[in-house]
Amino acid sequence: MQTLEHLREFGWSGFLVLALLAGLSVVAMCGVLSVLVVVKKLGFVGQGVSHSAFGGVGLAALLAALGWLPDSPIAQLAVVVLFCVGSALGMAAVSDRRTVPVDTAIGMFLVGSMALGAVLTHIAQAVAAERGRSGIVQSWEAILFGSILTANWSDVLVGWVVCIAVLLCAWWFRRPMLFWAFDEDSAAAFGVPTRFTKTLLMILLALAIVVAMRLAGVVLATALLVLPGAAALKLSDRFWTVTILSVSIGVLGLCIGLVASFELSWQPGPCVVLAMTILFALSAVWARIRGGGSALATPAAV
Amino acid sequence: MPSPAVEFSGVTFQYPGAPAPALDNVSLTVNAGERLGVLGPNGGGKSTLLKLMLGLIEPTAGSVRVCGMPPRSARAAGVIGYVAQRADAELSMPLSVREIVTLGAAWRVPPWSAVPTAARARVQRMLELTGADAFADKPIGKLSGGQLQRAMIARALAADAKVLALDEPTVGIDAAGQKLFAELLARVHAELAVTIMVVSHDLRAVVAGSDRVACLARRLHSHTSPQGLTPQVLAELFSHDVAGLSGVLAGMHVHAHAPSECCEHEHARADRTPTTQGTPRADA
Repeated sequence: MQTLEHLREFGWSGFLVLALLAGLSVVAMCGVLSVLVVVKKLGFVGQGVSHSAFGGVGLAALLAALGWLPDSPIAQLAVVVLFCVGSALGMAAVSDRRTVPVDTAIGMFLVGSMALGAVLTHIAQAVAAERGRSGIVQSWEAILFGSILTANWSDVLVGWVVCIAVLLCAWWFRRPMLFWAFDEDSAAAFGVPTRFTKTLLMILLALAIVVAMRLAGVVLATALLVLPGAAALKLSDRFWTVTILSVSIGVLGLCIGLVASFELSWQPGPCVVLAMTILFALSAVWARIRGGGSALATPAAV
Repeated sequence: MPSPAVEFSGVTFQYPGAPAPALDNVSLTVNAGERLGVLGPNGGGKSTLLKLMLGLIEPTAGSVRVCGMPPRSARAAGVIGYVAQRADAELSMPLSVREIVTLGAAWRVPPWSAVPTAARARVQRMLELTGADAFADKPIGKLSGGQLQRAMIARALAADAKVLALDEPTVGIDAAGQKLFAELLARVHAELAVTIMVVSHDLRAVVAGSDRVACLARRLHSHTSPQGLTPQVLAELFSHDVAGLSGVLAGMHVHAHAPSECCEHEHARADRTPTTQGTPRADA
């Protein structure tokens, strides 16, 4: 088996281990957020934010090509994060005003950012070629479908710093967030700061999506925020059990996907998403056979 | 003289761009420990009245006080327990009834602290008072309509609310469930002496658990005991031109429904509304 030979030969310095470490940071935070995304029906919002990232990638590439942004992954990540957070807050603000339907607002931001990203990436490639810096602009394929096999230690570090920050934030605000997620209108009446909570979740989603893009690309990043939670909710109706299962399904999907990608020489991002899709299908079948409900006891969520 | 729990003084509210105010010069006082029913047709301003009380919107004119405070302060202080129409909740949330009720009591507890024992004891007491302790460990998505309503009332009471506001509490609940609901409100009132406001278009829901009934159709039409709801009062209330549609409807022959007929019609329609579970709701 090529995977084992690779691990034996290169150990911790092998690109597969780096990809796995970077991927684990992504599936850990996406697994936790995924439960809220599925319950609050925010899958399309995730899609909107991840596609908005394309605009951010284009902007970062242009700034880097012009020499206005340092050629470091952290600087570029910061630009993409700011762009995504701006888009997420813009979507929330437009949909809150209720003058435009929510899905239309998301759709507008999604296509607008994609178009902007395409134009800016094209300009960035031309500028970079002109200045002899072609290597600094990512390929279309890497942006759209991810390139986790090229992850280095700085990617791993950024992934885990963002992951820990997102998970700490979600834990810190878990009570108002759960109240808001269950019953938004009543939460406002009980004094829960609903606007703050919604904005916070949007920012956490934007952060998770930007890091997830490294693994699965713009097109497939949303899958990491939807599939683990959807599969876990098929298997249990207890909050912590669902959360643990969601992260576990993410980790399992990542491992299966990376190994399949390495063995078959397929793109890693699509392989991981396909593995998670299969795990979701198996969960749905298992839930149908068992008739739902929780088999595992966990402490109270509150 | 009893102190007022909720006070609306000359309140007018007009939504931006609306041709007529949703509420027009409404003055209404609910005394502490009183049970008030607010009855009115759809579009009569009942939900607007609740939103004003909760401080979710500001009156165009007049003022609102809840327990002597502006509504936003009252909301922040947690003195209002609100039970919304149940269609608003995400019932796929993997939380048990006890967890949902605990959220009402303890969402303000600092993140590093466990829920205090006193709050847990209060949650248990409210679960028992509302009869929700029998299904406290059930997932919230697997309850019947009546069970869910009890859980939501328990959550509002666990928050130590002084004013319990219920918005259309009997929508989609059958006759037996409505009777249980009236008994539950009477038990809660006797035990906690909390101020209760029931807002509904359903005559039975309002009459069953109220000391006084305020008839609202943009303006306050009458303010009486349940026994004072004569057919004439109801006929005027439910045939009122609430949305200022007289111009639009000019030339059309509009029947004023007899009040009981109107309520029955609305109720029957609500009863047929499919639930998020995909099954008709009935009280357990």
